[in-house]
Amino acid sequence: MYPELTPPLIAGLGAALAVAGYLAVFRPVLRRLAVRQVVRRPTEALLVVLGSLIGTALIMASLVVGDSLNRSVREVAYDSLGPIDEYVTAPSAQISEQAARRLKFLHEDPNVDGVLIMRGDYAAAVLDKAGQQRAEPRALIWEVVFESAANFGAPDRSGLAVADPGPGKVVVTERLARRLDASPGDRITFYAYGQPLPLTVAAVIPSEGVAGVGFGAVDNRNAFVRAGTLLPVARASGGEPTTTTFVSNRGGVESGARLTDEVTARIRAELGPLGESGAAVETPKQEVLDSAEQTSATLGSLFLFIASFSIIAGILLIVNIFVMLSEERKGQLGILRAVGMRRRRVTGEFAVEGALYSAGAALLGVVLGIGIGRVVVVLAMNILNGYDQGDNKLGIVFAVTPTSVVNGLAAGFLIAFLAVILTSVRIARTNIIAAIRDLERTPRRRTRKLSLVLSGIATAVLALASIPAIANSSGAATYLLPALTAVAAIPLLRRIASPRTVYSAVAWAVLAWGLLANVVRPRMFDSQSTATYVVLGCMLSFAAVMLVTEHQAILLRPLRPLVQRSSQAGLATRLAVAYPTAKRFRTGATLGMYSIVVLVIVLLSQSSAVVDSSVEGSVKNATGGWSLRADYSPSAPIPDPQRALTSGEFADVITEAAPLLTAEADASDPLGRTKDLLAVFAVGIPDGFAAGAPELTERLPNLPNDAAVWQLANADSSYVVLDDTYGTTGGPQGATVAPGDRLELTDRASGTRRTYTVAGVLADGSALYGMGSGEFRYPVLMGKPALRTFFGNQAQVSSLLLRTAPGTDLAELSSRLQAEFLLNGLVATDIKQAVRDGFASSRQFFQLMQGYLALGLLVGITGLGVIMVRAVRERRRTIAVLRALGFRASTLRWSFLAESTFIAVEGVVIGALLGVLTTWMLYENSPMFGSLDVSFPIAWRQIALTVGVTLIASMIATLAPARRAAKIRPAVALRIAN
Amino acid sequence: MTRRIDIAGDGQPLLVADQVTKIYRSGEVSVRALDRLDLTVRAGELVAVMGPSGSGKTTLLNCLSGLDDIDAGRVLIQGRDLFAMTDADRTEHRARSMGFVFQSSNLIPVFTAVENVELPLLLVGTPAREARDQALEILARLGLGGRAEHRPNEMSGGEQQRVTIARALVARPAIVWADEPTGNLDTAMAGQIMDLLQQLNAEEHQTIVLVTHDPAIGRSASRLVRMSDGRLAHDEVRTAALTGATAAIQSG
Repeated sequence: MYPELTPPLIAGLGAALAVAGYLAVFRPVLRRLAVRQVVRRPTEALLVVLGSLIGTALIMASLVVGDSLNRSVREVAYDSLGPIDEYVTAPSAQISEQAARRLKFLHEDPNVDGVLIMRGDYAAAVLDKAGQQRAEPRALIWEVVFESAANFGAPDRSGLAVADPGPGKVVVTERLARRLDASPGDRITFYAYGQPLPLTVAAVIPSEGVAGVGFGAVDNRNAFVRAGTLLPVARASGGEPTTTTFVSNRGGVESGARLTDEVTARIRAELGPLGESGAAVETPKQEVLDSAEQTSATLGSLFLFIASFSIIAGILLIVNIFVMLSEERKGQLGILRAVGMRRRRVTGEFAVEGALYSAGAALLGVVLGIGIGRVVVVLAMNILNGYDQGDNKLGIVFAVTPTSVVNGLAAGFLIAFLAVILTSVRIARTNIIAAIRDLERTPRRRTRKLSLVLSGIATAVLALASIPAIANSSGAATYLLPALTAVAAIPLLRRIASPRTVYSAVAWAVLAWGLLANVVRPRMFDSQSTATYVVLGCMLSFAAVMLVTEHQAILLRPLRPLVQRSSQAGLATRLAVAYPTAKRFRTGATLGMYSIVVLVIVLLSQSSAVVDSSVEGSVKNATGGWSLRADYSPSAPIPDPQRALTSGEFADVITEAAPLLTAEADASDPLGRTKDLLAVFAVGIPDGFAAGAPELTERLPNLPNDAAVWQLANADSSYVVLDDTYGTTGGPQGATVAPGDRLELTDRASGTRRTYTVAGVLADGSALYGMGSGEFRYPVLMGKPALRTFFGNQAQVSSLLLRTAPGTDLAELSSRLQAEFLLNGLVATDIKQAVRDGFASSRQFFQLMQGYLALGLLVGITGLGVIMVRAVRERRRTIAVLRALGFRASTLRWSFLAESTFIAVEGVVIGALLGVLTTWMLYENSPMFGSLDVSFPIAWRQIALTVGVTLIASMIATLAPARRAAKIRPAVALRIAN
Repeated sequence: MTRRIDIAGDGQPLLVADQVTKIYRSGEVSVRALDRLDLTVRAGELVAVMGPSGSGKTTLLNCLSGLDDIDAGRVLIQGRDLFAMTDADRTEHRARSMGFVFQSSNLIPVFTAVENVELPLLLVGTPAREARDQALEILARLGLGGRAEHRPNEMSGGEQQRVTIARALVARPAIVWADEPTGNLDTAMAGQIMDLLQQLNAEEHQTIVLVTHDPAIGRSASRLVRMSDGRLAHDEVRTAALTGATAAIQSG
């Protein structure tokens, strides 16, 4: 994944390794120092590596998710399309037949290695076996010259290399056989064009290549008969089977797809005037491969975005570990500086040591990340497949590309290495005497002057840059630049106020801006950029942590009665809070690790709760009172479907049926999120729809209510109504289409284009998705006359919305409808259930992201454990003195446990509060929750679970170091320390 | 040759070390740091323990105070066998009857001077307000009234050591153990610290056992013990004329 990032990452990795390598080879003293620091305490070196590897693991896992999704979607191209690169359809059998004749000689083109002409349509298939009837309402039956099919795309396999079964026989694919429980010798009755066609199964073949072909759907259930079988059946009912010409480009699956543009141009040229009559060239393989790229990029980057919070926590951990290492070695570093080691050599020693840790962490992290990625892929794929109410489910293919391994390795190494270098620069600046004698470090006058000048310049530049960012509501920059301005001004402000006042003021300012910016600029999330959320999370979390660390005394007031007790519990508590309060930087970094991850987990929990609490309202809005949608095969239409479904045995249960006039089309994205055309379904607004239409979220300002919108769209052919999710592809929703936006519709058959204005936006158009062949298409609602005028004969009725009597058993009614209209391939869908299934999948996806993010909590928990282990080592002498004074071993053990719990509680509480607060601010002010009309819920159970599990895990992580501290023998510790 | 001289008769035996042996083992090598050592310390004594490096001075202090285990023998403090107690009892005993001054970095770095000093009082159950008052009082007595709220790294080495002494004395322990208390200080500061210890010994009969390399300090103690190879090589009580402490006792 992300091949474009590979060159800069490799360059960065090369540069870092070159620096570390140069130092290791040409500075033997540094090398010796670094290596001995690592090998002297192998267990602690391992802890440092463990603390650093989780970030790499999460980067790698995200890349693996992207790779696997890409491969899984691509597999469709291999399985279902095989050699098929293009096919030509036409609105009528006559034109399709003419097109086939014109393309017969296309195989002479050097870029083409096969042309296959098949006639076929949807048909219901029924098999009576052992007294049980099994039916498939949406099978595809094709007549084909089997010899041509076998040679199609040679030398690659066509997927339909099977002998002609002969008259009265059929070859079925495994997918259809599974649905019917059919095996060779069984007799299946196909109902095509309203006529029964009994055929004996000659063979069952895999659904691959030509055998897996269909009209857009991935999971097609095909049957193949010899040429001349379908034609008489169709003609007997006064129809013609649709002829489709398939074209295979030269080369294999992927290399053939690269010739698509050239071959498509050639096909169009061959079709000539037929193009204007509706003969259209489809490029399914290129679309699948493009879709693979898009799906993998969208989901891979979504997981990378979620992982970014954990990676930030990982960086804080690395910084913390090295700050602690330097604290522990302060005296040693002071002596090294005193005997003549320059500052850059000190940095160099840390660079070599850091490179060793980073290399270990990167290598182990990549291995762990591949494992995590594998688990996430399985979970994500199951959830993604849950979105699909039909059978277009993706098979899970696990894949790891070399590009991703290189990217993950390089990114993990560089993040850890740079964190070490930046920390070591600070360490190297330590004053020699202050280091040796463990005194307070005071900055040099020259440093103070320089920082004032830099502060002034940075404040001015950032303040100026903030103005256009805020004015344009430009997402991340709107948050970031004003916050950075406040931070940059800290050295200047310290000239006029105490450090605590300045830090508190800046933290309050950043926190306030983080929470309130979207009140001032409500459209700042429109960019759909995940960076906005990352910046927001970091700002809120770091500002709150800064405030807490500056004002621990106030927060600790409730503990004062306990701290002041002259008991072992009081003394343990006193010790437990003393270190976090005194060591503000490292406490802040640890709090940051916890709070940023918990913030985002709680934000996801809250978002999920908001969506969940709106399910019933959304179901009501989405259905508008319609209970079922019935879709049937256009090739076997139901005569007067409205009457057929509301009379006879259905008269009492179906109170109203609204036929949907539809046509497949392509449309532009009014928001310009993609330059490619979007696949849409133009839907004619049914008569009387306004009375029970799904609710609108927005409408043109001059329209007083929803009814006015429907009236306008019905009456004026230049207006359409879109769904809220029109054009979205996953990830943060960002801006949605709005009334007044304009989009261009293209009739796929004729190529005619026309521009429409959006009159209103549906809150939830779920009832209108998944129609026709099952291919995903966004619904575009327009007046029926406008639709007929624009699409001509292509517009047809093959779906109905049904309103049922109160108390109707929808499952039972669906079965009855499907049985009654089996010959028409009718499929009934429970709209409410479909909407609920959609919500359930969304919830699962939230849970998956929360689970993925919870891996970041491991960074915090492991980090806390690592920090406490180091703290025991660092405080050996203090522990010895305390034991000498009369502190019990158990008091010390409890003090360590209480210290880690105190830090974890603070971090988790900061994160949880900010998570709830941020969601509430977004809920109140952001358009992303604009369509929901529910009171703000709080996900108490989820939050309690997050908080509880984190705290228990944190305590468990500290058990070992706490026991170790309690076991320290004072005389030994004093002797070692001396 | 060891010359055993009974200490001034005003003190009761506070500590009795009887045939104390301590062996350090490292792989195949074992070192007898204390070799069947006998020592009695009486209340009110200021005992200076001297000897070359590796002679067992610090080990003696650690073992007699119960900070380290012993391999043989017994140690009686106020009549109780230190190593017959559980670790918890020994810890409790240490809190109630001992104070410690080490060579350096004695203070808890994240506590202020007064918080460091009040710790021993809190450990023996003194109410917090009372502990704070007593800690402030002793700090004031030692000339550190203005440094009470400072953390160790904000104080000089001499100030830190005086805070340590205040902490060692604040709970009025039966015995104070001091391991090279002036080892990290310049001569003037070391003199001040020793004057302070001598004054406390003289005026308040505080029993102090201190380990030192400094002959001048050794000379100023009321009793001088020299060690060699884990045994007492020399043990003598100084005359009143030579020791300020004894002089003070006599004058008092």
